[in-house]
Amino acid sequence: MAPTRAEIMGLYRSLIRAAREFCDYNIREYTMRRTVDGFRKNQKLTDSNSISSAYLEGKNQLAVAKRQAVVYSLYAPKVKSVIELEKLIIH
Amino acid sequence: MASKLLASTLRQTLTKATRASSLRSLSTAAAAVSPSAYEPYEELDGITMKGVKIAGRPLYLDMQATTPVDPRVLDAMLPFYLSRYGNPHSRTHLFGWESDHAVETARSHIADLIGASPKEIIFTSGATESNNISVKGVMHFYKDKKRHVITTQTEHKCVLDSCRHLQQEGFEITYLPVGPDGIINLDELRAAIRPDTGLISVMAVNNEIGVIQPMEEIGKICKEFNIPFHTDAAQALGKIPVDVEKWNASLMSLSGHKIYGPKGIGALYLRRRPRIRVEPLINGGGQERGIRSGTLPAPLIVGFGAACEVAKKEMAYDHKRITALQDRLLNGIKKKIDGVVINGSVERRYAGNLNLSFAYVEGESLLMGLKEVAVSSGSACTSASLEPSYVLRALGVDEDMAHTSIRFGIGRFTTEAEVDRAIELTVKQVEKLREMSPLYEMVKEGIDIKQIQWAQH
Repeated sequence: MAPTRAEIMGLYRSLIRAAREFCDYNIREYTMRRTVDGFRKNQKLTDSNSISSAYLEGKNQLAVAKRQAVVYSLYAPKVKSVIELEKLIIH
Repeated sequence: MASKLLASTLRQTLTKATRASSLRSLSTAAAAVSPSAYEPYEELDGITMKGVKIAGRPLYLDMQATTPVDPRVLDAMLPFYLSRYGNPHSRTHLFGWESDHAVETARSHIADLIGASPKEIIFTSGATESNNISVKGVMHFYKDKKRHVITTQTEHKCVLDSCRHLQQEGFEITYLPVGPDGIINLDELRAAIRPDTGLISVMAVNNEIGVIQPMEEIGKICKEFNIPFHTDAAQALGKIPVDVEKWNASLMSLSGHKIYGPKGIGALYLRRRPRIRVEPLINGGGQERGIRSGTLPAPLIVGFGAACEVAKKEMAYDHKRITALQDRLLNGIKKKIDGVVINGSVERRYAGNLNLSFAYVEGESLLMGLKEVAVSSGSACTSASLEPSYVLRALGVDEDMAHTSIRFGIGRFTTEAEVDRAIELTVKQVEKLREMSPLYEMVKEGIDIKQIQWAQH
């Protein structure tokens, strides 16, 4: 059975939220970007089978992101990336 | 009496041994709770290492040296470092079976990415070992009839060094020159072939300059003359489409840590039809069909497999993005400073590798000034030496330009902000160095530096 629109949007929001949890700058940016681009690309899907499989794939990726955000936080370097420091000074 | 004496000395040594081991275990326990290896140089306000103080962790643009591990890869690996620690060769219990199953799944993912059969994949410690097995192994196996190897001047050090080793054993090697664009001439390759040529080895994507050799055409020539074709595809895997059938490769070296997988794992593709045979470098328990003995590192293999699976899924997405970032980097630098030259072919190159030379600048000073950008002047293997890269010299790049090369490696996790920052820092540093350079001043005054007769000291 194909997921509802509300379920899909829920998955999208969860993925973005999970992405934000990554303490590593590059991984965080990538996970957000990949989520946005992935959902944008799959927007055009009409076949309910491919929608279901894309949804399931997203669910799996969410589980991975949630686990790995924890792992990354356990071994986070004290010092941030120079790119992030730049941002901190500006804000 | 004698046995009593023996027993007492035995007891003595035993107690000594246990005392020593308990001490040792205490000391390792102490080491485990003590600050980890990276704490001494990492302070809250920055990092101090090798006399350099940096405010934050540099942005990483050295993807040809190695790539960060993808979180999806690490996620696949971790279970095999925790409860699933079985030896994949154990046939008598669940631990072994589950490891073996995971290894075979990974093998099929790797085979899938290069269009091979899982039976043709041999796990090794990395592309260096695969290259060694390929070059030395093939020639040693067919040594009675085949005495000649053809390779190129721009190969990776491990292929060149294996060839040098063969030379000492009496084999003959032809090192094909490359054009100014870094590509070999197919007619020269054809002309170099002899009746006793036993192997042609040409790397797919160059690690230093990123040029892509005409693999299909080389494969056709090899097929025509019925010579085994080996290619080092460590820098090509997961980045450009790799197909062992299209390329007609007999052997192919692959590496895990260049495609967002773990370090310490690689693979060798070994064609089964027509069968190519090699003499193993490592003998032992007969794992990997006797070609590479030693217990398979299941977690690393699982990581390598996951990296290949992700690479296959993400190749189109990554390629589009990396190409856009490369254009951004190149245009950004070229817009602000002149005298920038791309090393190697512009058309036939992998976008994630941009090797640039900056005229009238001293290379080491440039790299020293770019401490907030992790880049390299060439390959990581030779980055300790001040000699200009042999790859650039093979291209015919002038000595002064070869000294000022910087390799920018863009990857899956590189962001626009990082590229912009790299442009800004590079431009600033190049301008600063040129301001100090009398050479640049002379060029601006219209003096042709190449015409100057420098006085001999």
